[in-house]
Amino acid sequence: MTRLVTRRTVLVGAGAAAVGLIGIDALRGRLPEHMLSASQSLTTHTQRILLRRRPLVREFSPADISAMFPTNGTTQPIGDIYPRLAAGGFRDWALRIDGLVGTPLSLSLPQLQALDARTQITMHNCDEGWNAIAQWKGVPLGHLLRLAAPTRRAQYVVFHCMDKREDGQHYYESIDLFDAFHPQTILAYEMNGQPLAVAYGAPLRLRVETQIGYKNAKYIGRIELVDRLDQFGKGRGGWWEDSDNAVWYAGQ
Amino acid sequence: MSAVAERPAVTLRERVYRHPLSVRLWHWVTAGAVVGLVFTGFNILNIHPRLYWGEVGNAHTTPIIALESTEPGGPRPATHPAPTALRLGSHRWNVTGHVGILQDAGEDGLYFMIVSTPDSWHFGGMRAWHFVFAWILFLAWACYCIYLLLGGRLKRTLLPSARQVTVRAVVQDLWDHLRLRAARGEAARQYNLLQKLSYLIVIFALVPLMVLTGLTMSNSVTARFPELYTLFGGRQSARTIHALCAVALCLFALVHIAQLFVAGFVNEVRSMITGYFDIQREPGK
Repeated sequence: MTRLVTRRTVLVGAGAAAVGLIGIDALRGRLPEHMLSASQSLTTHTQRILLRRRPLVREFSPADISAMFPTNGTTQPIGDIYPRLAAGGFRDWALRIDGLVGTPLSLSLPQLQALDARTQITMHNCDEGWNAIAQWKGVPLGHLLRLAAPTRRAQYVVFHCMDKREDGQHYYESIDLFDAFHPQTILAYEMNGQPLAVAYGAPLRLRVETQIGYKNAKYIGRIELVDRLDQFGKGRGGWWEDSDNAVWYAGQ
Repeated sequence: MSAVAERPAVTLRERVYRHPLSVRLWHWVTAGAVVGLVFTGFNILNIHPRLYWGEVGNAHTTPIIALESTEPGGPRPATHPAPTALRLGSHRWNVTGHVGILQDAGEDGLYFMIVSTPDSWHFGGMRAWHFVFAWILFLAWACYCIYLLLGGRLKRTLLPSARQVTVRAVVQDLWDHLRLRAARGEAARQYNLLQKLSYLIVIFALVPLMVLTGLTMSNSVTARFPELYTLFGGRQSARTIHALCAVALCLFALVHIAQLFVAGFVNEVRSMITGYFDIQREPGK
């Protein structure tokens, strides 16, 4: 007697169902979007498994520091506010931390510099393919977040930057709390032993070493804790994500 | 009765089932992924078409292979149109208009891009799609490897048989390839020696090398496995190997497609779609 349910019919049936679902998705024009989000999700989950014990990225010795470190993105913010702050040596600047936090903070540069700092010599990897090594000194973001006490709803850390891009929007970036509490995620105010220069993001920039170039926001003015990212820009979580379809989780 | 009449009647053609469904599915999924990877990959390379050796490489360091402006200190070709030179070590050739797709940039004249896409196809999006195709290639490859190893197909179809590795057979195989002579009769029932070797190299060397060098460019993966940097001699070396492997994969694909015409285009393509392959009987047998 021939069996109605053979391995072959199961396989062919499953295949036909998959092709059917993909076909319906394609007809509705949602397939590209779903493929991108599935790939993103796979990457994020795989890398989160790899990073669950929070390994550190490689750190280098002072001899490895690149003599010349290319600049990218904004190198000289324009407008009314930033040039004035820079001319005053950022004495009138303060970092605000607010949003879904128990204790909103406002910290001046000297106040930030008085906190326990971390110094690390790491490799900056641009998504364009080039890289360079520099020494960064700054406050671990996790330390500041503990001071601000994120509420239970808080999931993401949004960095609002002071530089305006060519579309008139301010640069912004976001990471989730997992990367925010990585020991090497710092808010740097010093590069290679010098105060952070304007081209590299003065007075304060993010170093999120588990992710690549564009996530490392420069010219930070405000940090906001939120539970969702769709309230900013086009809702993709960052200026490059909005304007260039860049991936939000950039551990790769 | 004559000897000929005593033989059983044979048709000159025999149709055999050559490629099971799983192999055919894997082949086309992989082919699509490779097209997507090569296209997005060259677009990613285009924005910084400089390859380095070692750990660090940027606009201030010396590349080993690069496309650059023919004017000293000139802008990058991808973002600012300029006459383009190809650099290999210390040699430079002007390749403006000789390779790739020409972009007409008005006053700046014609310039070179490896693969040119409309401005609305964002660079960031190219990377996002590169990872989509990379996942498809990797997952299909992993399934195929399990199937090859567990199903016994590796030994049956891809490892050279004892008869294929005798000196005489090797010389014959090389000679047949040089004359562009396709196998007939019994020999056509299995892949020939060079075919098997090229498939083995692609499946067990090129694809793993592509995946591993790709992962070496990931901050998170290398945080967990810093050994990858040691393995490839640095992050930029890994990127360079990744690009060279892409070129090797393209060359394989070109030869793979060219061989279809040698071996019989319709027969070969049909066998990868329906699974059935016609074997030509050798005359007189």
